Amino acid sequence: MLSKKIGAIGALLVSATMLAGCAGGGSNGDDGDGTGTVKMVAWPGPEGDAMKKVVDAYNAGQGKEDDITVDLVLLSRQDTFSKETALMSSKSSEVDIYWTASYNVGQFSPSLEPLDDIDTSNYFPVATEGLTYNDKLYALPLDVSNHFLLYRQDLIDGLLNDPAAVEEYKAISADVLGEEREPADPQEWDLDDFKAMSAYFSTSTNPDSPTQYGTILQAKNLLYNTMIWNDVLWGYGGNWAEDGTATLDSEEGKKAVQLYADIYTNKWTSPDSAQAEFPETQAALQSGNVAFAMQWSAAFAALNDPEQSPDVAGKIAIAPVPGGQTHVHALSVSLNKYSKNKAAAKTLLSYLATTDAMTAYAEAGGIPAMPDVLSANESLNPAFGKVSESISDYGYSEPVFPKTFQAYSAIAEALSGAWVGQTPVDEAVKNANESLQELLD
Amino acid sequence: MAQTLAHRKKNAAALLLSVPLVVFALVFVAYPLASGIATAFTSKSLLDPTEAFNGVDNFVSIFAKPAFLNAAGFTALFAAVVVACEMVLGFGLALLFDRKFPGKKLFFTLTLLPIMIAPALLGIMFRLLLNEDIGAIPALLQSVGLSVSLFSPSSVIPLLVVLDILQWTPFTFLIIYAGLQSFPRELLEASSVDGAHFFRQLWHIVLPVLKPVLFAAFFLRAIDAIRTFDVIYVLTAGGPGTTTTTLSIYIYKVAFEQGDFGKAAAASLVVLICLLPFVPFIVKRIASTGMEGK
Amino acid sequence: MTTITEPDTHHDALASVRRSRDRRPSRWLFTLLIGAIAIAINIPLLNAILVSMKPDGEIARNPIGLPQNATLDHYANVLYASGYDFPKFFVNSAAIAIGTVILVLVIAVPATYAIVRLGFGGRWIIDSASGLRLLPAIFFVVPFFILFSNLGLQDSIPGLILANTFLNLPLAIILLAAGLRDIPTEVEEAGSVDGAGIFRTLYSIVLPMLASTVVAVAVLVFIFSWNDYLFALVLSSSNATPVTLGASNFVTSTGIRWGDISAASFLSTLPPLLFAVFAQRYLVSGLSAGAVKG
Repeated sequence: MLSKKIGAIGALLVSATMLAGCAGGGSNGDDGDGTGTVKMVAWPGPEGDAMKKVVDAYNAGQGKEDDITVDLVLLSRQDTFSKETALMSSKSSEVDIYWTASYNVGQFSPSLEPLDDIDTSNYFPVATEGLTYNDKLYALPLDVSNHFLLYRQDLIDGLLNDPAAVEEYKAISADVLGEEREPADPQEWDLDDFKAMSAYFSTSTNPDSPTQYGTILQAKNLLYNTMIWNDVLWGYGGNWAEDGTATLDSEEGKKAVQLYADIYTNKWTSPDSAQAEFPETQAALQSGNVAFAMQWSAAFAALNDPEQSPDVAGKIAIAPVPGGQTHVHALSVSLNKYSKNKAAAKTLLSYLATTDAMTAYAEAGGIPAMPDVLSANESLNPAFGKVSESISDYGYSEPVFPKTFQAYSAIAEALSGAWVGQTPVDEAVKNANESLQELLD
Repeated sequence: MAQTLAHRKKNAAALLLSVPLVVFALVFVAYPLASGIATAFTSKSLLDPTEAFNGVDNFVSIFAKPAFLNAAGFTALFAAVVVACEMVLGFGLALLFDRKFPGKKLFFTLTLLPIMIAPALLGIMFRLLLNEDIGAIPALLQSVGLSVSLFSPSSVIPLLVVLDILQWTPFTFLIIYAGLQSFPRELLEASSVDGAHFFRQLWHIVLPVLKPVLFAAFFLRAIDAIRTFDVIYVLTAGGPGTTTTTLSIYIYKVAFEQGDFGKAAAASLVVLICLLPFVPFIVKRIASTGMEGK
Repeated sequence: MTTITEPDTHHDALASVRRSRDRRPSRWLFTLLIGAIAIAINIPLLNAILVSMKPDGEIARNPIGLPQNATLDHYANVLYASGYDFPKFFVNSAAIAIGTVILVLVIAVPATYAIVRLGFGGRWIIDSASGLRLLPAIFFVVPFFILFSNLGLQDSIPGLILANTFLNLPLAIILLAAGLRDIPTEVEEAGSVDGAGIFRTLYSIVLPMLASTVVAVAVLVFIFSWNDYLFALVLSSSNATPVTLGASNFVTSTGIRWGDISAASFLSTLPPLLFAVFAQRYLVSGLSAGAVKG
């Protein structure tokens, strides 16, 4: 009786597996006739909104000439890459143009079509380099993202202009750093200034502090938080790897983790920052409970908008990340290798690579990675100048290898316990280094 | 002869009644299941779309690092605690509701509300509600002089347990309450004449009769608790470190961050194989099939 | 059957035990106690409602209080102003949830009866169904995507109905099996002595007695398919997008739009709530109990 059942199930599974073998795309896509509908993915936010406007304009104008209609699908911020991963793993042709970024284009590249015949001379060279993998360009850059130090100008001015406060700061810095420091302008901070200032603006160390916590660390176990911590690592002169050997267990690596752990365990950042990322950091700055934070470039606009941030709008200023190093990545668009309409999709991509299209993109709220477009449109958004400057002066890129995306995630997993003082620094750094080495090999 | 005729009629009816299930299973269960199992033995990943057969490599790589077993340990502990609490509280709530009182219908619906919010959205609601800078709960606690760090490493696990209980006690409540409604009242009325004590009655009459329903509620809740994902993923993403990584978060990350579908399928199968032996044991207590003793 | 709308005290399973102690004023105590519980577990939703009516600038400033400058902007954003077609998302979700409830019941009710009462296949079918629910949804989501792409069901309402049916059948079968076990076989045997066929017994004797379980299953299946996220994420892209996915579009690359997503979360609980209100008269009144008592 039982064996019969097992036999029946077995037969069913075998036949279904054979069915599975026959199913599933497998083909390598198709050029199509160069016209028709092109389906494209984007995520919500300024980039997606800007792309929507560009696409609408294209559909109403140039698209009519090209006989192409673009269908833009918005997926949520957190799910875009999950959905694309599922589509790619089944060799789907459902979407023609994928939403990608410089940190995952290596991982996605087996499912992407190289774009070598598109003219990319208008872009920042560094932006297209970050999207080039094995000498092939896999994506066209859109927005460039990096980090800034966002700080409360009023609070810093209050410190710098009050001799009693300066004395207090000197005493605290001597305590925290082992050497007395003068308070400095945030534009000039190194990571020691960042640490001493975190202490000064925290009630745990300075009961008279105007804010409860000096800063907020984004210490959640999240791959995007690795990107921010990397600023500290690079700021101390460290790197992920040298010549294919992981170097996270270097002195610089330990120092960078230790800085987070010191700030966390001394309550210079809230205990809740163990689970903080972008939105929590915004909330902390908006509510006026912290004096400064390392945060993404995209955060600045909302913090200075009186509608959204009535308590702090106008008081938030912007400076390079302490230590002078910022991670830079580009969001981008890529062509699905399994698309059934590649010729039409390429026509659209070539259009997006023109200064006309990217000017429209900038006018719609995006920050395109084209120097000429940025300088011609500085009247639209004063941040355009800062972006160019930070890319050329402070930007670095993490090593690019097929498993870069996994590496961000593995480092966050190995280090996030140590960032909040839960795991010993040496042990965490050793684990992170081993994980990274496996991914590099 | 008459008996075999009735028997045959019964079999024909059983077959006819089962046709929809069989058809559905053949089309929509067999293929995904087989395909998933097959994937577990291949190298299918984003970086290697060849889907080459790689034997038990995926299974070996799961156990090569402590991450999977750590996740299993956390999941088991988490599920045990929340399911135990949700069963007791759900049962208590069902008993409370099992009477006439003013506003019963309104509160019955209100009590079910937490399960009507999609877990993915509920996670985001919790993130706002519990945020120390802009959330209502920390503000409320602060206004009475309490300063609690809900998300610090030492309090985040109890927090997740409480949130799960808030969210899912309505589920056990609904199932147990529905079971109570089909309870043969004659049993109770007969014994209540003797003035039997409430708790003795509960123990000797209600619990035995409700056993299948209680097991069903327990079983369904346990299965889902073992697969816990949304709220924890939104709030902690499995951290700090891997301290709150459930099996589902582990598998999700393997699939969607590492792009390793072979390994994700293999990990799912390991979970299934470990839990499968318990299933008949519990199902026996939920459903008598008329096949007992055969 | 008069008891459907106005249950008497006999109706409540344990109430009769306490009847001697059950004085009217004390009933209000239960109202208070249960009301407090119902409000406590709904704090996340109540908070979402408050937040959804506060302008952006007020959300961080005023975490506890009532909105000082109440606004309906967030609702406008959800319903039309944000450029997302939420009315369509709602229609999609409703069609998916209702379709799933119907399909699950059509498959599960006769099949479970055949398995449990007529000995079809035996308990291993229930064991396997339970086993399916033990596998994380991720295990199935890519195979389903491939299957649906080949069948032309990708990004369609019928496709998501089938996928949700797959996810919810185990739950339905387990609960119905437990419910069936509660019904004494004598009742059916009496029916079949009367000469009623198996189908008539099922339809006119078993189903009414099973009603509260069937309704509980319907409510749970509605809620679970309304709340599905992962399958919807992979199996829909534009035509069949449900509310849960639409709402998560307010998680943007420049932060979470708390007010908008709160409004969307609150609105998205209303349809399951309506469904539960519609269904609860069967749940609360205990239709099956009425049938037992005649």
